[in-house]
Amino acid sequence: MKKLIIYTVGVLFMLFVAGCGEESSAEPAGNGESASEDSETAEQDQVEISVYSSGSLNVQNYWETIIPMFEKDHPEVKVEFVFVPSGTGGQSTMDRIVAAKQSGNDSGIDVYEGSLADIVRGEEEGGIFYQLDGNGIPNLAMIPQENIEAVEYYSVPYRASAVVLAYNEEKVQDVPNTAEELYQWIHDNPGRFAYNEPGTGGSGDSFMVTTIYNQLPQDAMSSQDESIMEEWDKGFEILKELHPDLYRSGVYPSKNQGTLDLLANGEIDMTPAWSDMALEQLDKNLLPSTIQLKQIDPPFTGGPSHLMVTDNGDDARKQAAEKLLNFVLTVEAQEVVIEQMFGYPGIDWSYLSDELQERFADVSDGYRSFTGGKLQEEMLKRWQREVATQ
Amino acid sequence: MSELAVERKTKKPRLNWSKKTKRSILGVSMVLPSFLLLLVLVIYPVALSVMESFKSRDGMWTLDNYLYLFTEPHMLNNIKHTLQVTVLSSVFVLTIAYSIAVYLRFNHSWIAKMVGKLYFIPMFIPGVIAIYGFINFYRDNGWIARLIGEGNLPSIIYDMKGLLMINIWFNIPFTTMLLVSAMSSIPNAVIESAKDAGAKKRHLFFQFIFPLTYKTMLVALTFLFMGIVGSFTAPFLIDRNAPQMLGVAMQQHFSSYNEIGQASSMAVFLFLLCSFVGYFYIRSNMKDSTKSY
Repeated sequence: MKKLIIYTVGVLFMLFVAGCGEESSAEPAGNGESASEDSETAEQDQVEISVYSSGSLNVQNYWETIIPMFEKDHPEVKVEFVFVPSGTGGQSTMDRIVAAKQSGNDSGIDVYEGSLADIVRGEEEGGIFYQLDGNGIPNLAMIPQENIEAVEYYSVPYRASAVVLAYNEEKVQDVPNTAEELYQWIHDNPGRFAYNEPGTGGSGDSFMVTTIYNQLPQDAMSSQDESIMEEWDKGFEILKELHPDLYRSGVYPSKNQGTLDLLANGEIDMTPAWSDMALEQLDKNLLPSTIQLKQIDPPFTGGPSHLMVTDNGDDARKQAAEKLLNFVLTVEAQEVVIEQMFGYPGIDWSYLSDELQERFADVSDGYRSFTGGKLQEEMLKRWQREVATQ
Repeated sequence: MSELAVERKTKKPRLNWSKKTKRSILGVSMVLPSFLLLLVLVIYPVALSVMESFKSRDGMWTLDNYLYLFTEPHMLNNIKHTLQVTVLSSVFVLTIAYSIAVYLRFNHSWIAKMVGKLYFIPMFIPGVIAIYGFINFYRDNGWIARLIGEGNLPSIIYDMKGLLMINIWFNIPFTTMLLVSAMSSIPNAVIESAKDAGAKKRHLFFQFIFPLTYKTMLVALTFLFMGIVGSFTAPFLIDRNAPQMLGVAMQQHFSSYNEIGQASSMAVFLFLLCSFVGYFYIRSNMKDSTKSY
């Protein structure tokens, strides 16, 4: 009997250990297998590249639409797509590239979709991304020059989204055009406006950042100088004054979706929202059709999403990656960004059809970028201390 | 037979020794998996965050994180709020669950049978879904508000009332289950003989039922306290923005502010709070085991 127990415990323990080991090794093995199988069946001179991306479901859907389109156009390139859902370790992809660079290995990642911060980090680590040019990617010419110069040709800012004002047109007659008019509207209609807790989502964050920086010179938004923190007082004063006139005298729901839910329920009439999120939900009737979107002056913040080509020292793969990036910038592919992701196109609006330009006229007024880096955290802390705690 | 017995007797000392070793090997091998699991998944991370809580952003040893936790007015408010919500929720849950358990033990009507079958349903509804359902039900223009007329309902969502209500919803099933099992272990004979001796209902409760279930109540209380004090999802979605429950503040310090040290100091504080409560749980269990052996 005791022997039996010992055996059982032993077996269970081994199963447990084996189970753990298997779990961690199963995935890469599985991937490798399917990849080599695929390449065996493919033509000899086919180049295989891998695209790593992260974000919400709409980003995944986008790539799963684009890659078959691209492979049809370019049968000589095979694209393997790896999607890391946001919040599950997107940073680890970047860590992988950096680690591979430092040890002189091939990272196995050819195209990486990331943020401005990733480009900066790539530079700090000694140039892990290729500097791109019009020879490899002719369609770069279609991107507004200032956007690509801002990243010094290290990335293709292929799509963007921005925060806009979403409002219920049945309830709001005097739609604000400027930030000042918006603050006035909030005071005139107490309880009908909400922005989400800034730390929990970009739309509320954008409201906070723009309110503070609207009181400062235009170029202050790109300053990372900590002395600017003393000049935030005026903006925080405005936020504090708004507090009692917000939804339920100062309730800030969590996450971007929190305020959109209130808008859909009719508990509020106006809120800042991400353009792509709001447009997609309008399309799926999750938001009632009475909701309109509008950019105010000066605009809320927003930002592009960047595609980088990783330097693995393999020219064939670099050229294949450039072909993919070039394809992403075609009108055909950019229409997918607009139609399916409800994002802003990376290329100039003038290349797109009049019909599309008209449909997006409300939100295409552009956006500002806040690149204060660590100042962002300080702003959030002060917001919690002074605005939320009243 | 007798020969065998003699042989066994002569070999006894050696056998006994190896039996002991066998037993201890068995004991160790049975504890080992859970101990290793504990080591990797609990002890190591706890040690890490204790260390992290004494470090500043640039990696120097410091007490600043604890100073921040216990001197910043808004953090003190957060601690106060956390304890308030936890204590209030625990008291409400315990009172309600205890009443249900008593009712189920001594009432045999069909309603009691129904309640007995239904009370653990909330356990099987995933947390986030329950919370969204709750918000739609009780928000200012939700179902209840539409039934009784908007404006007649006090604010529940984005308020402590809502948080207490959802804590009650989540915690009643398990607490009731514990108490029902304690109640059902009270022998009918005890109660009937007390009744025969002329005990009134009041006496019956305070002299017999309460003393026989009070230990389980303490156990339930520790589970309640630990579950609620570190909760995140419900306060994140239902509570006001300030003051916050510590679970929410911790997440905010960790991912929005990147203040890993401060977040860790909160985690350590919560851990100490829970171990303080856990101490009573272990003590009452130890008493139990010394009694029975």
